[in-house]
Amino acid sequence: MKMDRLLKVELERLNLHLPKERISLYEALSSAKPHVVAKNGSIHSFKREELELLGKMVGEEAQKKLRLPILISIEPRLGRGAARITGDVEVKVVSQLLGKEGRGDELIIYRPEIALLRRKLPTTSQYLFMCTG
Amino acid sequence: MAQALAISPTRMELMKLRRRASLAKRGHELLREKMDALIIEFFEVLRRVREVRAKAFDQLSSAYKSLSMCMARMGTIETQQAANESKRELQIEASTRLVMGVLTPTLEVRKVERSALERGYSLYTTSPLLDEVARNFEVSLRLLIELAELEESARVIAGELERTKRRANALEYIIIPRLLDSIKFIVMRLDEMERENFSRMKRIKAMMERRG
Repeated sequence: MKMDRLLKVELERLNLHLPKERISLYEALSSAKPHVVAKNGSIHSFKREELELLGKMVGEEAQKKLRLPILISIEPRLGRGAARITGDVEVKVVSQLLGKEGRGDELIIYRPEIALLRRKLPTTSQYLFMCTG
Repeated sequence: MAQALAISPTRMELMKLRRRASLAKRGHELLREKMDALIIEFFEVLRRVREVRAKAFDQLSSAYKSLSMCMARMGTIETQQAANESKRELQIEASTRLVMGVLTPTLEVRKVERSALERGYSLYTTSPLLDEVARNFEVSLRLLIELAELEESARVIAGELERTKRRANALEYIIIPRLLDSIKFIVMRLDEMERENFSRMKRIKAMMERRG
């Protein structure tokens, strides 16, 4: 039983860095100190230069739709090293940054692309570990 | 192994163990993914550390070179006096960013480089070389602040990587094999019990036939 509990705690700990609530790019750009509060209560700040880069890539209407941080969803069922990006605007932005064709509201990216995305958006993207599936 | 876990060979226990093994395998897969992601982050930070460190060293080297030139031209005492006149406070905004649960520092400096007029020393009594020295050291300072942020990030990410690796290894080499051994033991024991039951039934049947 102790081991089960430890495992569950470990799995829960994987996603403690995720924000309680995501904010839109529009809100982040208009805030003096753009940040989100994580589930564990710590502060995750966004770098202004990244926000400005994203702002230039999407129009004002899309800025309200783009939720930050962009989640890179790691799912074991996709296979090792693959991740999923969901959301219309998120897919558009990520595919533009990676120079990859992306349509619809879902995009699968692989390890080298994840590394490139994290290099370009170190504060405005975050990993999400999907425990189910 | 099974005795170490103190398990009873029942079907209920077998079901529980299978559930635990599947949870452990899922946990292991996710920890491995986390480890991969941490490695990506770590190497990215290292790449930037190398880049910024090289830039900072170059910048500091040219700053000290220009300082020597300035001291030779203006004199040591005059240069020190000008340096004392241009003291300042630097506004650094320190915040944090989360990299998979690892709290890494983010340092943002509003403005390090100043114009000659903002520096505070007299432009009339000093050489233009002093402006170059000041500018070089200001650029070095900005790079050193960036380097401090990156080196601390590399240190905390490396710590988390080590912890994650230890947990993933514990799952892979101790917990999962132990669970699989226990499952194997129960399956074997249940099969054995079934065989015993079967032969017992056969004997009873044979005895009853002999009597009848």
